[in-house]
Amino acid sequence: MTPMAHAVISCLHANLAAVEAVLEDIDRQGIETITCLGDLVGYGPQPNEVVQLVRERAIPTCQGCWDEDIIDGLNACECSYPSQLAERRGHRAHHWTAEQMTDENKAFLASLPMTLRRDRLLFVHGSPNSQHEYLLPDMSAFAALERVETAGADTLFCGHTHQPYVRELSGGSIRVTVEQAGSEGATEQELTLPMRRIVNAGSVGEPRHGDTKATYVIHNDTSGEVTIREVEYDVAKTCQAIVDAGLPEVFAWRLSHGFEYAERADDASHVCER
Amino acid sequence: MERWALVSGLRGDLDLYERIQRDLSTQRGVESLFVLGDLIGPERNCDALLERLRQPKRGDLKPDCIYGWWEEQLLAERGYRGDQNAQVLRREHGDDAVDALLKAVDERHLPWLASLQFGFIELDCALIHGSSADIGDRLTSETSPLILLDRLTRLDVNRLFTARSGQQFRLELTGGAIQSHVKDTAGEQQQEQAVPKRSVIGIGQGAAFSLYDAATDRLDFMRAGEPCVTPRRT
Amino acid sequence: MLETMSTTWLISGPPGCGKTSWILNTLRDHPGPCGYLRLKGTSQEGLEQGCDAGIDRTWLQDQIPSLEDLSTPQPSPAAADRINLIELQQFQAPPEEAPEAIDPAIRSQLDTLQLRPDRCLLFGRDPELPGQDTLAFNRLEAWSLSLHNSVWDPNSLSSFWFELVNGAYGDVYRAKALMNLPDGRAFFCNWMVSQQGSQFLPLERVEPPHGRPKRSSELVVQGKALNGIGIQTTIDDCLISDDVLEMHQAPMRDQQPESTHTR
Repeated sequence: MTPMAHAVISCLHANLAAVEAVLEDIDRQGIETITCLGDLVGYGPQPNEVVQLVRERAIPTCQGCWDEDIIDGLNACECSYPSQLAERRGHRAHHWTAEQMTDENKAFLASLPMTLRRDRLLFVHGSPNSQHEYLLPDMSAFAALERVETAGADTLFCGHTHQPYVRELSGGSIRVTVEQAGSEGATEQELTLPMRRIVNAGSVGEPRHGDTKATYVIHNDTSGEVTIREVEYDVAKTCQAIVDAGLPEVFAWRLSHGFEYAERADDASHVCER
Repeated sequence: MERWALVSGLRGDLDLYERIQRDLSTQRGVESLFVLGDLIGPERNCDALLERLRQPKRGDLKPDCIYGWWEEQLLAERGYRGDQNAQVLRREHGDDAVDALLKAVDERHLPWLASLQFGFIELDCALIHGSSADIGDRLTSETSPLILLDRLTRLDVNRLFTARSGQQFRLELTGGAIQSHVKDTAGEQQQEQAVPKRSVIGIGQGAAFSLYDAATDRLDFMRAGEPCVTPRRT
Repeated sequence: MLETMSTTWLISGPPGCGKTSWILNTLRDHPGPCGYLRLKGTSQEGLEQGCDAGIDRTWLQDQIPSLEDLSTPQPSPAAADRINLIELQQFQAPPEEAPEAIDPAIRSQLDTLQLRPDRCLLFGRDPELPGQDTLAFNRLEAWSLSLHNSVWDPNSLSSFWFELVNGAYGDVYRAKALMNLPDGRAFFCNWMVSQQGSQFLPLERVEPPHGRPKRSSELVVQGKALNGIGIQTTIDDCLISDDVLEMHQAPMRDQQPESTHTR
């Protein structure tokens, strides 16, 4: 058993073979604490099985954007589809998933909180502001730090991008000059910024990091060290399940080549105004 | 010289608006007037001011208006924001304030108010009531520079003009940096990012307004009927 | 550089070897009048010709507006400095003992059009023609789709083409198409397995924003284990409806006078 280690998984996307492989990898290392950052369903062929597995294992989970879409319907943010093709495939996958899911499993998704917190660790799907905001590794370092600091955390765990990374923001300072009406002259100030981290857990069920392996992260609660894990799983099994389920066959091709099922828009800083 | 006049928080006060217009007519080079929201409020009937903003009189500097927090509350309560209503106003000021606001603005002005934009981007400047994070975002000279930098980054502008707090201030980011270390499946990368030279300007509200020259970056804090109150830079 | 006398050449080779590109460059360089014809080739066991729906002719005529179409017999004697180039997709070379021999079915088409080639050039054999993309095919399927009147969502076209040439719908060795976009532009899309990337070449002529375009539009694919149903399904998701087309065209009509124009 590894009591100090804590696994964080995200973006399962109804890919049972991948989820089973990742949980097996976690179990093999004796890690008992797991947190899930949402998107249990969406595009993949086994939504009920994956939700059931998460429920059976009692894995604390926060709600992802796809989970929200299944509950709220297709009035959720649609601005992340850059093409008609991606939008149609997304809608087709949404309708199929909504039809397949049992009421009980839908109720479970509806019950999921937006965020989870453990001491100074915060767990979200997209960002503390929104399930739809992408926190990419090359976003402004100051904006990234603001997300963690404003949320009152030292380390922010997020998913949504399907690309795992660990980003440490340190040694920061901002100098300012302030003038005010009615005051003489300007005052100068310097703000020293604390060290903060953003950890993206990648995706178990729909990797987008240029490989077909499922990814997740392990956080050592004592040392704070974070490890990115890549896990092989039987991709062909999921591809066959996609075809058997009657989902678009091209989904199987895309998954087996490490491509996302449907492209998202490039605007990483876009935050849905809905 | 082409200066902008930046006004907010008129709250239906036509007298105040006329005083400001008179002041602007005595200032050199003021070519544009931006009214950054809160045209309306519950304190008085706003119809006369709204008529004047929509149909400027001869001699008025023509106003370009955006919507602010009070407009957002009215439009939500009147059904222009989906299934939202004026819940924030109700929570902060009670049902009486909501009723007073509804009475203060005739329904004929609603389509025009609903057509107002969230903000303007002019040259390299954003002109917004609160911030792009929230219409009610109160950015002040005491707001953490980290938050102010985030608000500037969201809009990717060098100058953010905001009115919500009512304060008149200019906060300039003058220096600093941060180290970013990223580890992913491909390897590790270290980068330093410098604080960009940007600023956030609170334009004031009500009788307090501002004049700005984009070419020289000169900012003057004004008060209707009074001389310029801008602190001299040393 | 060709001699200044009336000349008719038959240019043949396997799919994707560069016949049309070579023909375009040659005709552009020629100072006198020119004519073009793409012949219907013969399919052999296991080697299917891509259905020719005028993609090459439309592309060449867009790039060379004065190009004459040899598919209708010419009424008057050819000018002395005229060049005619006839394109033929052909999988196998003629026998060594008769290098300029022409298949009887091809000969028959030429006779009907009163065309008699002075020379027969073959990609991979004749030094006048580039040989680097000339591949030998043992087996090739063909699939084609008319896209007449169709207009693509631009980002969807990029995604579809990426999937097509990277094997999502079978092993594609050759793909070419003429595709219409909502702003009135059209692109000649060209992919060959031996090349690094696809070509997306804009046509000169831009259609006016008045409903669906009238010009030729087609997709031709050659490869193995082609999934025609999958291709069709994806294409259906990429093509825009009348309503969406109108949303693109209405603002363009407000800005432009009513006339056809080039880029």
